[in-house]
Amino acid sequence: MCDHHDRLKSNNKDLQSVEKQLDRRHFLKKTSLGIGALALGSLLNTEKAWSSIGNSDNAAVNAFTRNKLGLPHHLPKAKRIIYLFQSGGPSQLDLFDYKPKLVDMYGKDLPKSIMKGQRLTGMSGSQSTLPVAPSIFNFKQYGESRAWVSELMPYTAEIVDDLCFMKGMQTDQINHTPAITFFQTGHQLPGRPSMGSWLSYGLGSDNENLPTFITLVSKNGKGQPLKASLWGNGFLPTEHQGVQFRSGKDPVLYLNNPDNYDGTDRKKMLEYLGDLNSIQHDAYGDPEIQARMSQYEMAFRMQTSIPEVTDTSDEPEHIFDLYGKDSRDPGTYAANCLMARKLLEKGVKFVQLYHQGWDQHIGCPNGVKFKAKQTDQATAALIKDLKQRGMLDDTLVIWGGEFGRTVYSQGQLTKTNYGRDHHPKAFTMWMAGAGVKPGFTYGETDDFSYNVTKDPVHVHDFHATLLHLFGIDHERLTFKHQGRRYRLTDVHGHVVKDLLT
Amino acid sequence: MNDVPDFVLFLGRFHPLVVHLPIGFLIFAFVLEILGRKKKYNVITAATPLALLLGFLSAVVACILGYMLSLSGDYEEAALDNHFWFGVFTSAIALIAWLISIEKIKLPKKNKVKANISVLTLIVILLSITGHYGANLTHGSDYLTKYFPFGKKDTSKELVKVEKVEDAVVFNHLVQPILEDKCISCHSKSKKKGGLSFQDSLSIAKGGKHGATVIAGKALESEMIKRVLLDPEHEDFMPPEGKTPLTEEEIAILTYWIDNVHANHTSTVASVETPENVLHIASSMLGLKGGAHGGHHGSTSDVVLPKATAANPSTLEDIKAEGFTIRELVFDSNLFEVVLPPYTKKPGDDLNAKLEKLSKIKDNIIWLYIENNNLNDDHLKTISSFKNLQKLVINRNGNITDNGIATIENLNSLNSLNVYGNSKLSKASLDTFSKINTLKNVYASGTGITQKDIEVLNKKDLNIVL
Repeated sequence: MCDHHDRLKSNNKDLQSVEKQLDRRHFLKKTSLGIGALALGSLLNTEKAWSSIGNSDNAAVNAFTRNKLGLPHHLPKAKRIIYLFQSGGPSQLDLFDYKPKLVDMYGKDLPKSIMKGQRLTGMSGSQSTLPVAPSIFNFKQYGESRAWVSELMPYTAEIVDDLCFMKGMQTDQINHTPAITFFQTGHQLPGRPSMGSWLSYGLGSDNENLPTFITLVSKNGKGQPLKASLWGNGFLPTEHQGVQFRSGKDPVLYLNNPDNYDGTDRKKMLEYLGDLNSIQHDAYGDPEIQARMSQYEMAFRMQTSIPEVTDTSDEPEHIFDLYGKDSRDPGTYAANCLMARKLLEKGVKFVQLYHQGWDQHIGCPNGVKFKAKQTDQATAALIKDLKQRGMLDDTLVIWGGEFGRTVYSQGQLTKTNYGRDHHPKAFTMWMAGAGVKPGFTYGETDDFSYNVTKDPVHVHDFHATLLHLFGIDHERLTFKHQGRRYRLTDVHGHVVKDLLT
Repeated sequence: MNDVPDFVLFLGRFHPLVVHLPIGFLIFAFVLEILGRKKKYNVITAATPLALLLGFLSAVVACILGYMLSLSGDYEEAALDNHFWFGVFTSAIALIAWLISIEKIKLPKKNKVKANISVLTLIVILLSITGHYGANLTHGSDYLTKYFPFGKKDTSKELVKVEKVEDAVVFNHLVQPILEDKCISCHSKSKKKGGLSFQDSLSIAKGGKHGATVIAGKALESEMIKRVLLDPEHEDFMPPEGKTPLTEEEIAILTYWIDNVHANHTSTVASVETPENVLHIASSMLGLKGGAHGGHHGSTSDVVLPKATAANPSTLEDIKAEGFTIRELVFDSNLFEVVLPPYTKKPGDDLNAKLEKLSKIKDNIIWLYIENNNLNDDHLKTISSFKNLQKLVINRNGNITDNGIATIENLNSLNSLNVYGNSKLSKASLDTFSKINTLKNVYASGTGITQKDIEVLNKKDLNIVL
C-alpha cells in the first residue's frame, strides 16, 4: 500500500530516460504487468485510492481528517502510552509473584518435572545443582484487589488497585539483546520497526512540533547495553523512528543558536535548503530525502517546543515530592517519569523509558532492592499524577522487562544471598490506564514461578492487545517490504480480551 | 449424460470463443453495406459477400460447437432451446443474405439495395437476441440488468431489515447473499454447472452430480464445504479459477448453517446455538454494530457509536484554521476527536467565535479536549449542544463555575468528564454529574469537591477521582 518505489518519478524530463534505465525493478514490472496497468497505477495516487474505500461522497473530507491507512479500525481506548521498560529482566519472584511454598524447598534441587527439559543459558546450564532460592523479602496483600507485592515496592503497593498484573508473561528469547529486540519489534533480530514506530506510522502525530515517539534512557545506566534499533523504524519511513532524548540537562543538543547568531534568517535558510532538497528529490526520488526535509523542519520547530516541554521549573513543589528527590536531578528515572508526563501532555503519543540494570545473576537481593528503590516511587507517582489529571483515562502505562528470572540460584545459595538467571517461560508485567482492567490480576504460575499454569500472555499477544487498545486490528496494520507484508505481530498474536474493560 | 465423449465436450467448450466470429463478420457486413450507400465508399460493398460467407460458415461451426456444449447438461433446457433455435435461424438467414448478395437469389432490381439492408438488419437483431440468450446461460439472467441505472429495483426479493442479529433468518439473511454473490452465476436454474443449482431450497437439497452438496449437521462431509476448502490449485476447488474465492468469514457462515442450523431455511440466529465469532461475522454482514451484546464473555463493553453525516470539507478546513486538530476516531465513521491545544487562545482571540465554528460539526464530535484555554460558562453553554460527546476534557479552565457545569447536564452520551484544576467548582456540580446517567468517570482533583462530598453523594456506578 505504501510502496514508495511506485511513486518514484522524476519531474525532470532529462532524467526520466536515465531513470528508466537505472531501475531494473521498474523495468521488470512494466514488462510483466503491461504498460496499461502501469498507466492506471500512476493515475491513481494512493490518497485517492484510500479515500474511495469509504462512502464516495466523503472523498473530499478524507483529504486531511481521514487516516490514509484506514485506521483506526475501531474506537480506540488509548490515545498515548508510556512504556516503563525495566531492562535486564526484573525478578518476578522478589517483586510480585509470591510463592510461599518455596520456603520448604530451600536449597533443594529444582525438580526435573518442573523444568521439563528446558534448555538453560550457558551461565547456569553447567551447574551441578539448581538449588531453589525462595525470596528473602516479605510479601503482603494490598488494596481492594488484594494484590501481592513485596516489601521492595512500597509505593507501587499503594496503587495496585489501578494496575492490571499479567503474571503469565512468556517470551521466546532467553538472552538480553534478542529478548529486548523481540519485545520492541516483534522479532528477535534487529531490523523490524519498533512498536512506537508502528503506532507513529499508523496513527500519525498529535503535535507537529514534537516527535511522535520519544525514548528516554535513565542516565548512568549500567548493565546490558541498549541500542537505537530498539526504537528504530526498520523498513518504515524514517520519520517514524523514536527520537532519543539525552539524559541530562539538555535533552536535545544544538537547539540553542550559536554565539553571535540571532537566528532571524534561519527560516529563510531552511526554505532554500528545502528547495535544493526538492530538486534532489525530483532527480532521484529517494524517500529518504523527504524524510530528511521533514526532519529539518521538525528540528526547527523543536527549537522552541523542546525548551518549553523539558523545562520542569514550573512544576510545583508537591509534584517533585510525589516523584521523589531524584526527580530534581535531570536524567534519572524519576526525572524521566516527570518529563514523560509533560511530553504526553503536549501531545507526544509514545514515550518509552528505559531503566537498565535489572540483571541480577549474582547478589540478587541487594540488586533488586537497589533497582526497586530507584524506580518504585517515581513509577507509582506517575500513575497517581496521571490519574489525578484524568490522563489515565486515555493513557496506557506499561511496566516490565524482557523476561523474568529463575527460581533456582545461579551460583552459591546462602540464607541471605542468591543469584538468579534469565527465565523466559514465566514472568510478571503490569499495565494501567486506558482500557485495561484496574485492580486485576491475570494469569498464574506454578509453585516455582517456572511455568505458566493459567492464562499465559505471549509477547505477540501483548503486542496485539496493545494495538487493539489504540483501535488497531493487529492483523490489518501492515507494511509491504521486500515482497511481503509485515506486521508487528508477524503471523502470530491474539488480543487478550480478558484484560480489557 | 456421461455417455458423451470427453472429446465432444472439449470441443464444445470452444463455443464461447468461436461464437464471436459470426457476430463480428455479420456485423461487419452490415457496416459495409451501410457505409457503401455513400458514394464515396460504395466500392467497399464488394467485400460484403465475403463477410457474409465467412459469417455464415463460422455461424455453422459455432452452432455445431454449441450443440456439443449443450450435451454436457449443465444448462436449463428451456433457455437452451431458445438460444439453440435462434442460433440456427440466424445461420440460415446469414446464408440467405449471402445468396442475395451474390445474386443467387434474384430480387427485383429496384429493391436490391433495400433488400440487402433489411436482411442484414434482421441479422443484427437476431444476433443480438441469440447473443443475449447465450449470455443469460453463461452469466445468469440478471447479469445484464443488475446495475441498470433507471429501472425500478426488484423489491419483491428484498429482505426485511433486521435490527438485532438474533432476529436474522440464517438462510435468508446470511447464507443466501453469499450464494448469490459467489455461486449462483454458475449454479442456477438456467446454468446448472455440475447439475447443481442454488436457486431454491429444493434444488439445494437435490444437490449436484458429484455427491450430496449439503449434509445437514455434517459440514465437513458436505460437498459444498469440501470444495471451497480444497487447495485453490486443486481442480475441484470452488469457485473455479478466475472467480473470487469465498472469504474465511463466508465459509464460517456456510459451515455454521450446515452444522448448527442443519441446513434448514427457516431458523433464526437466536433459535440455534451460535458461536461468538459467527455472531460477529453475522453482525458485520448485516451492517449491525457491536455484534450481539458483546458476546458471551461479558467483558467487552462495546461503546455504541452515534451515526453522523459527513462533514463539509470546507467547514473542517475552517475549523482547523482556528487551531483545532481533528482526528477521525474510527475510519469512515465521520466521528471525530477534536483538540484545542492548551494556550491556543491569543490575546484578542474570541473563543466564542471558535466554538461557533466548531458547532457546525457538533454531531460529529465524540471526544472534545479544550484544556487550559480560559473556557468559561458561556462557552460551556455552546458545548452543551454537542449531544454526541462521550468524552469531555476541560481541565485547568479556572473560570468555569458550577452554573457552567449545570448547563451540560443534558449531554446524555457523556461517559468521561475531566474538570481537573477548575478550582471554582464545588459539590453543587456533583448533582449535575449524577444527573448524567451515562457518566462513569469524573476527574475532579483540584476542585472544591471533597472526598466527604463524594461519600455523601454515595453513587456507586459513578467514579469520581480526586
